[in-house]
Amino acid sequence: MDDVADKIIEILRKNMKDPSKTVTLDTPLSELEIESLDLAVIVFDIEDTFGIEIPYNANEEVEAFATVGSVVDRVKSIMAETKSSGAAA
Amino acid sequence: MTKSNGRRRVVITGHGVVTPLGTGVEKFWSGLKAGNVGIREVESFPTEDLYITIAGEVPDFDPKVHLKSRSLMLADKYSQYAGCAAAEAVEMSKMETPISDKEAYKSACVIGSGVGGLTTLEFSYKMLFQENKRATHPLTLLKAIGSSASAHVSIEYGIKGPTYGLVSACSTASHSIGNVYRMIREGLVDFGIGGAAEASLNWGATRAWQAMRVLSPDGLFPFSKNRNGTVLAEGAGILLLEEYEHAKERGAPILAELKGYGMTADAADMVNPSIDGASAAMEMALADSELSPSDIDYINAHGTATAVNDLNETRAIKRVFGNAANNVSISSTKSMHGHCLGAGGGIEAVAAIKAIGENYVPPTAGLTDPDPECDLDYTPLQGKDREVNYAMSNSFAFGGLNAVLVFGPPPA
Repeated sequence: MDDVADKIIEILRKNMKDPSKTVTLDTPLSELEIESLDLAVIVFDIEDTFGIEIPYNANEEVEAFATVGSVVDRVKSIMAETKSSGAAA
Repeated sequence: MTKSNGRRRVVITGHGVVTPLGTGVEKFWSGLKAGNVGIREVESFPTEDLYITIAGEVPDFDPKVHLKSRSLMLADKYSQYAGCAAAEAVEMSKMETPISDKEAYKSACVIGSGVGGLTTLEFSYKMLFQENKRATHPLTLLKAIGSSASAHVSIEYGIKGPTYGLVSACSTASHSIGNVYRMIREGLVDFGIGGAAEASLNWGATRAWQAMRVLSPDGLFPFSKNRNGTVLAEGAGILLLEEYEHAKERGAPILAELKGYGMTADAADMVNPSIDGASAAMEMALADSELSPSDIDYINAHGTATAVNDLNETRAIKRVFGNAANNVSISSTKSMHGHCLGAGGGIEAVAAIKAIGENYVPPTAGLTDPDPECDLDYTPLQGKDREVNYAMSNSFAFGGLNAVLVFGPPPA
């Protein structure tokens, strides 16, 4: 696993009910017992760590947050967009 | 005429509002009947670096026009809204003010707010931290604290009995009204002002709300299949509650009776509502009113248009009402005035009282494509004439704080 994935998993662990659980890229977020407000906090931590903005609405089904791997992918693609557009996060 | 159990009855002899549909009950109610939506692009603060740029702002409030007291002119907008709505309620009630010495200690004033003078705070911090001003304005503290509105109104009318602010997020106004209702019933006071005000639309608050990810950038569409969050708004909703014999004796105009009040907590989650708390609050309000679900003609729903509330509320109504759920008219007037936060319950209480007075159910605006799981009669798009004797108003706040009021017609 790479640096981005490592950091994201660390952030997830901080917000999990049971941080000792095994977490892989395939682990669904629902298995991590993360509820709506925890998710907002996780997203906030991720945004802070990577200097990006992750748009999402808690009222909508968000595919990007289905598994740990999908979160990592979303973060990486936003980082690439942010870099290429030269916009400050 | 007292109830069979000798209980004092509580009636409403005046009400007042400040809302995104306009200031004053007449403008507000006309707007509701017409299905107008008071949610627009924000005008009162810059929205360049926000992705939520819509809100329900009060369009026509002018302190110079709507307030008489000089001290209120210097207060935070939340207190000004409260003062204006209280003035409308008191004037409507034809109550003589200042309250006489004989009655002053038997009158109450409970005006709540979700966040009180937050906009004053934001401005003051900006001055201190950004602009390094040597001091804040001397009135800063008084403007900011959540008891100010109540204090201002008590001073305005000479109310010398129980006077304080009350806080319970989106249930604040309903809890405040219920609080005064209980005091009257208990005999502690004979009348009182109850309700709440909210004026928290500012840049910082919007940033904070954005971070919760529950706001919609599109609009407030309760019970819709495509609903995607709530929209912030502001205003005030105030009732003048009075013991029935007291009101009769002075020949006061009686708009409605407050029949019952239920309050519960979910004891579950800070944001996600539970069906148990909501249904228990409705059941409690019905029991307190000595009514059964089939007596209720109209429910003014909490209906915030979040994914979770509208589903939870639908299920709770079905649980409490059983088969009667199919016969009750329901609507979320938040679809028109927005989510007025602490003030919501007060504004919505006025909508319920007007529904009774005029036998008219206001619509849920924007409900063109209902969520199949929200399959009750939510009065889509168009209001309707219907005999409304008893109306229920629901408020289900963050933290699982639930308050339900049941209103009935003026006693015969």
